Amino acid sequence: MSDRIARTLALSLLLVALPAFAQQTLRIAAAADLQPLLPPLLAQFEHETGIHADASYQSSATLATQIIDGAPFDLFLAADLSFPQRVIDAGRAEEAKPMPYARGTLVLWTRNDSGITSLSLDALRTDAIKTIAIANPEHAPYGRAAQAALQHLDLLNTVHAKLVIAENIAQTAQYADSGNAQVGFISLTSALTPRLKGDGHFVRVPADAYPPILQGAIVIRSSAGAAAAHRFLEFLQRPETQQTLAAEGLEPVH
Amino acid sequence: MDLQALWLTLRLAATTTLLLLALGIPLAYWLASTQARWRPLIEALTTLPILLPPTVLGFYLLVLLGPHTGFGRFATRLFGHPLAFSFSGLVVGSVIYSLPFAAQPLAAGFRAVDAALIEQARLLGASRWRTLRSVLLPLSMHSVVAAAALCFTHTVGEFGVVLMIGGDIPGATRTLSIAIYDQVQDFSYAAANRTALLLVSISAIALVLLYSRRSREGSARG
Repeated sequence: MSDRIARTLALSLLLVALPAFAQQTLRIAAAADLQPLLPPLLAQFEHETGIHADASYQSSATLATQIIDGAPFDLFLAADLSFPQRVIDAGRAEEAKPMPYARGTLVLWTRNDSGITSLSLDALRTDAIKTIAIANPEHAPYGRAAQAALQHLDLLNTVHAKLVIAENIAQTAQYADSGNAQVGFISLTSALTPRLKGDGHFVRVPADAYPPILQGAIVIRSSAGAAAAHRFLEFLQRPETQQTLAAEGLEPVH
Repeated sequence: MDLQALWLTLRLAATTTLLLLALGIPLAYWLASTQARWRPLIEALTTLPILLPPTVLGFYLLVLLGPHTGFGRFATRLFGHPLAFSFSGLVVGSVIYSLPFAAQPLAAGFRAVDAALIEQARLLGASRWRTLRSVLLPLSMHSVVAAAALCFTHTVGEFGVVLMIGGDIPGATRTLSIAIYDQVQDFSYAAANRTALLLVSISAIALVLLYSRRSREGSARG
């Protein structure tokens, strides 16, 4: 009797699990700044092509490490060009050069109730601002841009003691949105999400204060979904998609 | 070698262990001796931090310690600065995170003490405090040592909570585990290996001391 139950259970488990293997999926390693805007694009892509895509969001450095160590991704959408280059150097990419697909924008963000009346980069010098969140400059492209901007504006030494370092750009937004850090250098993609738009406001960091955040993509060598990855890259470069990206904080490259 | 991170980690682990013993001994004594109907609820709550993923626990702590909760504002006034991104904040996080590692072995140790001994002590007029100090603690010293070692090593190896509420500030919140993570992220594998070796050595030494003590006790008894 219990034998029959066990057999029925095993069979039903198999029936539930099998479709997952049958369906074609595209596995994307995506930089954390894409988290707010990628899901609707993936849904649209699936609607058009029938290819289901799943994305994992981490800092570009984490993802590069995982891919080099053999993580089963088909496509890497990084937040800069240096991390995809590392994957290329490790022999794990199809391309010889990362393909830039968008340009990121760095903003300074604060909550509306933070008590900071006129938000500006100069305000960082004042005693009113005691904590500034940035992403880790060692391994998050937006953090690197924030550090470059602070250096360019000759602020780095003044504000050094006020900096709190988040693991990636999404966590930087979390530090600022939870009110634990008074201001944060975050991505425009985060600042334009409904939640952060409702909670606070931002100023753009002058574009000449930091090297452009060119975001690069690569297809992972001999991955099962390589063909699907190429189709997604074509989809990403279409003018309509680029327009959607621009509306949500990622400018076209050209 | 990141000596600053090493020193910070040792300070954090020592502070957390001392606080957890101070909190855990009375709590475990209560858990082991009470007949209260809600004892299972309290015991479940003290065990819950094992269940919650550390990053989730860390996220809730970040919200709790922030300026948008009454507790966060109270703590900010009490300490004179917001708790997130500070050493005190890490201590609060670590105490919650490692609480089960103090409460569980201590309660188990207290429960193992012969109930008749406790009853006799109480009949002879000893207060609850005196009973704890003169009967329970001496008879369950191995549990106290085990709890201390577990709290210490668990805090040394803590990562998720620190990542969420720390803010990676050298000398204040960059512990050894965060330093290793940064080094790995930065592709500095050799440096990460050295730091990891240090982390493992500390924990190994603590555990060897613990277990050698246990075997001495065992042979002394036998």
